[in-house]
Amino acid sequence: MAFVFLLEQVLNGLLVGGYYLLLALGLSLIFSLGGVVNLAHGAFYALGAYLAVELTKHVGFGGAIIISPLIVGLIGVLFERFLLRRLYAADPILSLLLTFGLAMVAEQVIRMIWGSSPLQSSIPAAFRGQFVIGEFLYSRYRVLMLAVVFLALTAIWLLLNKTSFGRVVRAGVQRPDMVAVLGIRLQPYMTSIVVLGVGLAALAGVLFAPISGVHPAMGAEIMTAAFVVVVIGGLGSFWGVVLAAVLVGVVRGITIHFYSPAGEASMYLLMLLVLIFRPRGLLGERIERFE
Amino acid sequence: MIKKYQPLWIAALAMIVLPVLLQAIGLTMTSATDVVIYAIAALGLNMLVGYTGLTSFGHGTWFGIGAYAAALSQKYWFPGQIVMPFLFSILVIATLSCVIGLLILRRRGVYFSLLTLALSALTFAIAFRWTNFTGGESGLGGIERTSIGPLNLNDPLAFLIVVSLIALAILYLLLRVVRSPFGHVLVGIRENEQRATFQGYDTDKYKLGVFVLSATVTGLAGALLVFHHRIASAELTSVAFSGELLVMVVIGGMRSFLGPALGALFYILFRELLSMWTDNWLLWFGLAFVGFILFSPTGLVGIWLRIKTYWQPEPEEGAAMSNRKIYDGLPLPGFLRPKASQGTVLEVSAISKKFGGIQAVENAQLTLQAGQIHALIGPNGAGKTTTFNLISGMFTPDSGTVKLNGKEIQGASPHQVCQQGLARSFQITNLFRGLSIYENLRLSLQARHPARFNPWRDIDSYPEVHAETAELMKFLGLEGMEQIEGGALSYGGQRLVDLGIALGSKPQVLLMDEPLAGLAAAERERVSHLVKTIASNIPVLIVEHDIDRVLGFSQQVTVMNQGGVLMSGTPEQARADQRVQEIYTGTGTPPVTGRVAGEATDRPQLLRFEGVNAFYGKSHILNDATLDIREGEIVALLGRNGAGKSTLLKALIGLLKPASGTIEFAGQNIAGMAAPDIARLGIGYVPQGRGLFAGMTVADNLALGRLARPTDGRSGVVWSEEKILHYFPRLKERMQTPADYLSGGEQQMVAVARALSGNVKLLLLDEPFEGLAPTVVQELFTVFDQLRKEVSILIVEHNLDLVLALADRVFALERGAVFHQGPAEPLLTDLPYRKQILWI
Repeated sequence: MAFVFLLEQVLNGLLVGGYYLLLALGLSLIFSLGGVVNLAHGAFYALGAYLAVELTKHVGFGGAIIISPLIVGLIGVLFERFLLRRLYAADPILSLLLTFGLAMVAEQVIRMIWGSSPLQSSIPAAFRGQFVIGEFLYSRYRVLMLAVVFLALTAIWLLLNKTSFGRVVRAGVQRPDMVAVLGIRLQPYMTSIVVLGVGLAALAGVLFAPISGVHPAMGAEIMTAAFVVVVIGGLGSFWGVVLAAVLVGVVRGITIHFYSPAGEASMYLLMLLVLIFRPRGLLGERIERFE
Repeated sequence: MIKKYQPLWIAALAMIVLPVLLQAIGLTMTSATDVVIYAIAALGLNMLVGYTGLTSFGHGTWFGIGAYAAALSQKYWFPGQIVMPFLFSILVIATLSCVIGLLILRRRGVYFSLLTLALSALTFAIAFRWTNFTGGESGLGGIERTSIGPLNLNDPLAFLIVVSLIALAILYLLLRVVRSPFGHVLVGIRENEQRATFQGYDTDKYKLGVFVLSATVTGLAGALLVFHHRIASAELTSVAFSGELLVMVVIGGMRSFLGPALGALFYILFRELLSMWTDNWLLWFGLAFVGFILFSPTGLVGIWLRIKTYWQPEPEEGAAMSNRKIYDGLPLPGFLRPKASQGTVLEVSAISKKFGGIQAVENAQLTLQAGQIHALIGPNGAGKTTTFNLISGMFTPDSGTVKLNGKEIQGASPHQVCQQGLARSFQITNLFRGLSIYENLRLSLQARHPARFNPWRDIDSYPEVHAETAELMKFLGLEGMEQIEGGALSYGGQRLVDLGIALGSKPQVLLMDEPLAGLAAAERERVSHLVKTIASNIPVLIVEHDIDRVLGFSQQVTVMNQGGVLMSGTPEQARADQRVQEIYTGTGTPPVTGRVAGEATDRPQLLRFEGVNAFYGKSHILNDATLDIREGEIVALLGRNGAGKSTLLKALIGLLKPASGTIEFAGQNIAGMAAPDIARLGIGYVPQGRGLFAGMTVADNLALGRLARPTDGRSGVVWSEEKILHYFPRLKERMQTPADYLSGGEQQMVAVARALSGNVKLLLLDEPFEGLAPTVVQELFTVFDQLRKEVSILIVEHNLDLVLALADRVFALERGAVFHQGPAEPLLTDLPYRKQILWI
């Protein structure tokens, strides 16, 4: 019994962690390559969820899970081209303020289009019900989510570590000047990273809409949690972010089990604790321009 | 008095007009009170954001806690009262912010902002979920607004008047703080915290002080809001509300005292007026905010100032400079003279410091005697600046001691070292760029005044500090340009201010890091005269690359090389010392033979670099630099540290945009092109320190070199992997090793190989032999020697024996201009000629 309980908590923790991870990875990538802290990241997540609700009506859940991140990615291109690009060389605080303003605008736009009350979003019929293994029950949809998160994570890892795209990105994070003198223009890579980042946020939105609900403030709510993960993991560190996401997910899950109102608070306390002992996060390195 | 407290009169007037005006446009007294309360909160936040440069995304925390503290204490402890809950709330905020501040002030910049953001999310999570205590979602209602004496606060006007009076009191308090020594240090921290610590300010204390002040003022506004609306809600602690407070500050104008109050007014007007028309007023507010960030980050006040300068242009900088009065031959002002001392004032024994795997300083020692100028010289990377950093408290030595007047100071923080009487200037100009020259120097003198932490007395009530500042300005020859901003000065002027900041700390020992670097000839003469005058009273330790000059005026010399002390003695001994000469001019015997230089005299020209000027900010680094390279030729670029050699390479490859001049490569003008485009034309660059991508394998590093540059041989030589491995066979077994695991020599080979991967016609090498063992140097030398058959090479190297043996021709730079060019051969073999041209 204790084992089943533990397993369930760990799985739920992984799930919530994966949920944060999809956002935190994009945040971390955009931050390390562009030096931009994107507080509007949650808006893309919300947009992904809303689009998914609309798209599901026409093309079903399977279509929505592919099309919604693509549309959000396209919006990301415009976002990068006309706004973020002005800020790469500027004080990072300015990007913080700008993207905060954008998040505010995006939330209102959502309210204007879809109204203030939550939208209905249900688990697709094919994934309702539970897997049963002995006395252990687990929702099929949650298993699907875990699988998608795992796939996305693996894909990103492969992209960053096994392709020339990833080589340029990793090199660009370290020494943008050296990348330039090898004849490589970083700009298209930056655009792609933004598209990838916001696309992942949208994917998280699509996946979690049936569980967490679809409402205008969902972006703002997830944002701070995603930042907590990035800060705990260490800005710019892939495995740091992964580790932190799982840690936050599990700690939050266990706290909720014992005392549910403290669930949210627990991750912030965890962050404070980590920062007291490791000021740059679990696996973070010192990056001079953000100090 | 009237001018000094001008913001106060303006605010008082505004608060009288405000309710009338708002009612005239159809709004209520409630809105007027909202404006005043939010204005208080925004002003409090601005102490942190605008004055100290710490952008808090979490001041809703304090606003909300202030609100809850007032509400809860009235509910449980002080029913029917209003003053006690209000005071209690202030006390709670002050205490709590002090504790939290200690924690999150450990971080700066973006990290600080993210921490405050999380703090706000944490308080919201608690306020929203702890329903029994805070009322949770529905808030905590039932707050009473009772009377104070005969004044019934239930009357909206009476309450507005009380709130306005409190606002005035807060304004007065904040104005006093801003005008006090404490307040001026805050601005210094915003402009350059590091420099402030080296001036002797314990900046952590100042930051904590202002954090508590800012939180308390904002929290107090929260308490007022609770009494105003008779309810405390979790929304007040949220990130969204924290952001809105910040938006008020930014829209109003964070660089002005009253700007944030204007922002609060803007916010309420926007909310009240727009919400009559649309439910989505926040959309328009957000758009307005984004517009401000993009087009006027200084807010409404900034727009106003721009309009004002349009009508009344400020005097030109040149005009301001022309007021400058230079008095030659002034003695050092009396207040700067330490009491005469005898014997050893500074004793550094056996200090060592390692950074990662690099031993920056090893077992270094030096002693500075009273009344002396002690020169610290040595080539690039010898560890001179690190030694300065170890002495002045920037780093703690791994071992060894530093004694100042017999007292050990190693490991003390910079502000402690400064207060004990040791001040320093910086190699890379390090001043308060946004502050006037006068304020730059005044902050130094204030740091030595007992009232430096005083948050209440006006800055003008310290005539002694002002008098000293004026005298220091006069001594430095800066009189008449008091109000010019530090960042607007010419490079030479900035160097002088940097020196002045160090001098203003009234040191007993002064460390100067290259005070003459980058100065024009006339300035150079004047500043070295100043240094002599200073040193006749204060013992000086000086790092300088103008060796002629520094040996000319110092009494003692310590020569460093590769982290250790090579010799110590008089200037004459240093000049005569064989080892010292070897560091600077080499031995005159080529280390390697068998080269085939000198065949390239009639080859076609590949690169023409003509009349190029380049700047870093205000510093003029390249000054009409001109050189040319022929095909298949190795050209050496020589010159002292800071002469502009690396900058020339950077301008050539496009990492630094030249301000003027022509750079013609293979018949095409590449000046001003982006670095990637230049690289694709066939120029490879190996920077100082190699610039490899750590954590990536050799193969990955090489692949990146080949990714975007053409490799088809349309132009230049095709550098395929086989060809590269032919030159560097050692890399074959290393292909899958992460580049940062390789030895220094192998790393250098990878860097060269990477630069060559593509069609490359010209290779730029910056200090390729630095830090390598002799055998590796030999190996690389041979490779470069053979490479000349296939590419042209422009090489910067301080080891003259090596580079002269390698090169066909030589260009020597001084202060960004070429002062000598010619064949390498005579310089290689004729040592006296070499010395005459290149040193002493």
